Amino acid sequence: MDTQSYLPLQPGVGMEENFLSLDDILLSHERLPIRTECSFPRLGYLEKSTDAQDIPEGTKMELPLWLSKGLYEKKRRVLSVELPKVYREGWRTVFNADPNVVDLHKMGPYYYGLGSQMLHFDSPENPEIAQTLLQTFIGRFRRNMDSSQNAYNEDTSALVERLDCLEKALFTSGQSGLNGFQSWEKGRASQLTASSLVLNYRKRKMADVPP
Amino acid sequence: MDPSEVEFLAEKETVKIIPNFSLDKIYLIGGDLGPFNPGLPVDVPVWLALNLKQRQKCRIVPPAWMDVEKLEEIRELERKEDTFAPVPSPYYMELTKLLLNYASDNIPKADEIRTLVKDIWDTRIAKLRLSADSFISQLEAHAKLDNLTLMEINTIRAFLLDSLNCMYKLRSNLQPGSSKGQFTDY
Repeated sequence: MDTQSYLPLQPGVGMEENFLSLDDILLSHERLPIRTECSFPRLGYLEKSTDAQDIPEGTKMELPLWLSKGLYEKKRRVLSVELPKVYREGWRTVFNADPNVVDLHKMGPYYYGLGSQMLHFDSPENPEIAQTLLQTFIGRFRRNMDSSQNAYNEDTSALVERLDCLEKALFTSGQSGLNGFQSWEKGRASQLTASSLVLNYRKRKMADVPP
Repeated sequence: MDPSEVEFLAEKETVKIIPNFSLDKIYLIGGDLGPFNPGLPVDVPVWLALNLKQRQKCRIVPPAWMDVEKLEEIRELERKEDTFAPVPSPYYMELTKLLLNYASDNIPKADEIRTLVKDIWDTRIAKLRLSADSFISQLEAHAKLDNLTLMEINTIRAFLLDSLNCMYKLRSNLQPGSSKGQFTDY
């Protein structure tokens, strides 16, 4: 049983982000390809490729998710968001064919989270994206379950390197179930051990304490 | 839930012991125990049985199902059936471990019993994974956990619950607008 000194907040996964989740904060920095629908005066420094003072209408550039989400509006067209490669038709076919062969860590690493966030931008392909996300998760579930419930006392880095961040969290919870049972079966659960909080606790020196 | 908590619950099960001391009835919150007379079998909870055994005050009579032939039958049944077969005791795994660890001299063929119970456990866990997988892949919404023991559920609980949670959220993406403001539970 591993006890942590803090409880990490789970990512929101769906359309709603979890405001306090570290994963979702990192996710909001993913860059999206966009196209400006009006000119942005005096913001030329955001676009590194030109020295112009303004960003003219119709420029293709990349903006982080949080900014695109804030600027995107249905009524006043400020910018239009294009789908990242992995959510487009071509890759969707790959995911539908066999989700197990895809390296989601390279594709993502927030494949599910970003995919759900893409649903904020009204694209005609939204229903298919949502469907593919769900099918991918289901398709990869068995493999993830088996590897997390069987890998006892071995190096798991090869198993988790192709997993999305969400799947990695699931893998860890699967491992905690397995490790708990195994250590009970070996009789190690009945031995008292020092809490990790105590082990990591170091006495503060007087010099470190701010006055 | 920690496996040691499940084990704690299992220690409430009763087991027959043959004491070698005499003591009047003892009155506890959980019920009255005894009276204890040398040579007369009496039912006590497992925690007391193990305690007395460790002080060499009694002999433990293994439960009726803890027997090589009966366990072999159960193992065959478990392998034949696709669904979970009924288990001899809701705490079969925990009781086997406790009794075999502390009182193996009172149980005939202890090693064979250990192997058999482990076989039964492995078969059931494999079934549990199979059914969890079909549960997920067919997008079912509820399942009936007949004949599953607490320890078995406990090994897969964290993983399955987290997965179902994720799946629920990915599914609610399919109906746009329905998920607004639903996950603000922090």
